Amino acid sequence: MFGPAAVTTDVLDIGTRQEEDKRRQMIASGGTGAMCASNFLGEPAAFEVPNVADPAHFCRSNFASACGAADSHQTVKFAKGTTTLAFKFNEGIIVSVDSRSTQGAYIASGTVKKVIEINPFLLGTMAGGAADCSFWERNLGMQCRMYELRNGKRITVAAASKLLANTVNSYRGYGLSMGTMVTGWDETGPQLYYVDDDGTRLKGNMFSVGSGSTYAYGVLDNYYRKDLTVEEAIDLGKRAIYHATHRDAYSGGINNLYHVTKDGWKKIHSIDVNEMHYEFAEEKKNAMSS
Amino acid sequence: MDTVFGVEYEGGVILAADQSNARSILTYQSNLDKITTLSPSSALGVSGPNSDLVNFSEYISKNLALYQLSNDGIQLSTHAQANYCRGELAKALRRGPYQVNCLLGGYDKSTGKGSLYWMDYLAALAKVNYGCQGYASNFCLSIMDRDWKEGLDQEQAVAIVEKCIKELQVRFLISQPNFVIKAIDKEGVRTLKFGADPSDN
Amino acid sequence: MSILEYNGAAIIAMTGKDCVAIACDTRLGAQAQTVSCDFKKVFQFGKTFVGLAGLASDVQTMNSLLKFRKNLYELREEREMTPRVLSNLLSNLLYEKRFGPYFIEPVVAGLDDDNKPFLSGMDLIGAPVYTDDFVVTGTATANMYGMCETLYKKDMEPEELFETLSQALLSSVDRDALSGWGATVHIVTKDGVMTRELKGRMD
Repeated sequence: MFGPAAVTTDVLDIGTRQEEDKRRQMIASGGTGAMCASNFLGEPAAFEVPNVADPAHFCRSNFASACGAADSHQTVKFAKGTTTLAFKFNEGIIVSVDSRSTQGAYIASGTVKKVIEINPFLLGTMAGGAADCSFWERNLGMQCRMYELRNGKRITVAAASKLLANTVNSYRGYGLSMGTMVTGWDETGPQLYYVDDDGTRLKGNMFSVGSGSTYAYGVLDNYYRKDLTVEEAIDLGKRAIYHATHRDAYSGGINNLYHVTKDGWKKIHSIDVNEMHYEFAEEKKNAMSS
Repeated sequence: MDTVFGVEYEGGVILAADQSNARSILTYQSNLDKITTLSPSSALGVSGPNSDLVNFSEYISKNLALYQLSNDGIQLSTHAQANYCRGELAKALRRGPYQVNCLLGGYDKSTGKGSLYWMDYLAALAKVNYGCQGYASNFCLSIMDRDWKEGLDQEQAVAIVEKCIKELQVRFLISQPNFVIKAIDKEGVRTLKFGADPSDN
Repeated sequence: MSILEYNGAAIIAMTGKDCVAIACDTRLGAQAQTVSCDFKKVFQFGKTFVGLAGLASDVQTMNSLLKFRKNLYELREEREMTPRVLSNLLSNLLYEKRFGPYFIEPVVAGLDDDNKPFLSGMDLIGAPVYTDDFVVTGTATANMYGMCETLYKKDMEPEELFETLSQALLSSVDRDALSGWGATVHIVTKDGVMTRELKGRMD
């Protein structure tokens, strides 16, 4: 299954050392080891790790799901490659993404949902490792619901994004790969945060993440205004994604676009970017003849 | 890394390039001209180390001049020049390559049109309507895709290039304060704008 | 990433009843970045077509080299080159650079003197394989084999061959990040050559 040089058999010994340590600790402190095995995966250090001297280094070099070709030496390659963007404007927030997932040059899927609906007022986007993003954002959804149940009110976007940042931070150096935007509307208004795998958390008005993000920024920066109408903002969001998918081999498929308002998020459309290509080409032709 | 832009328009082509000469973490100069005139109606914009830039573009331009001298003043078409460049670069590729990513723009009297050729240091040649070399291509190709259309005039073509430059100054980590913009059309090759005078040394 | 995958390509050649067809995508990329959507990678040499996948620079170099050798042959011999000869020439040109190869994997498709289909493919140092059904090369080979194995039928007429080949290519490149952005198909029959441009997904 694995190349003999890249991954040795100790990978099959996954978790043994940590479990063993834990069990010993439990017994030493008088507890019953078997009962205390944690299955609350959001907790830092709750995951089992390989039985090697430096598990972080081992994971980082064998199981990293880094963007681009950074994992080309690895036996295991994960699904990734993306363009996602989100920006704030006077009428709320637009979140727009592509839907392609690649493993090397192979397009593993063209219909991935990269906007994760955390709850009716919170959206997360997915760039980098598909598994990392979907797992930890689902986990974030659970943490947000727990907050609601405990405190009787919705969590702020600032707090939610901080929860995610804290989680990924506890696995820093293990080769997680995620560039995500957490957006939503809370008591302080529309909010947009960027959280990534090395623990960076930024508040901002406009972000684009993924292999095609630079292309998206090119279009966004040139046509963005704070006072865009809703229609203009939707058009900008979809065009930026289209131009990124056209130039970036690892982005493509369908453009999913969401609009966040004070009443929560609303899905605006799901358009095949290929249809946009011919629509925009037609538009250019008409602009010339007139 | 350096930036070179090229945009074709009705009756000509715009070439633009940043003016920084940098190595490692140091900027040596910021008034360089990376667009070499190859013939009275063509120019080559190069992104790459200064030594290769100078050696390659001088080699090409002098050989084109030699060709003209030995063939009763016949000038190669832009297409032929581009393919000559490609041939020489491909030959060099397996000896110790020139690290030159080029955009070649030229005007042909026979067609009354400008044309633009994209070529990377591996000597893959492609005719394009607009193009970009360097890291900047990641930011600027989408802008050109968005705004370029058939039948632009010179001002509109320059406007696209300026949008691209503006974008780099917002998003690109490496500072490129000065750009030189040249037009190649029936009048020949001329400099429209520069950030710092290349002859000021 | 392998240098053979730097620019991206997908090429299929297929035989029919007294006809052959060859199709390629039109992308020129520099790794993830798409540079051009009308890049030529299938070239005509009389009634024979050669598809060159791999490093774009060597694709263009090999095309001019082949053109030169084919013209020289025709001047010397005063006859057209058959696909088999062209295939052997190509194989020899590739092996000539055994220790510093051209990074291309070609396919040759054409009709021989009796208008019988000829197909061959080779690796980058010229090891030939001859088939009588289809041959594929490029970054989407796994996908293309899958499509061809399912869609291919023996003795197709030119129009059906065109349809089969086009569908096989388009579906293959839709699952490959490094090729696509349009396609070109050439159908060779004893009466001549038909060339068609296909619209493909532009992402």
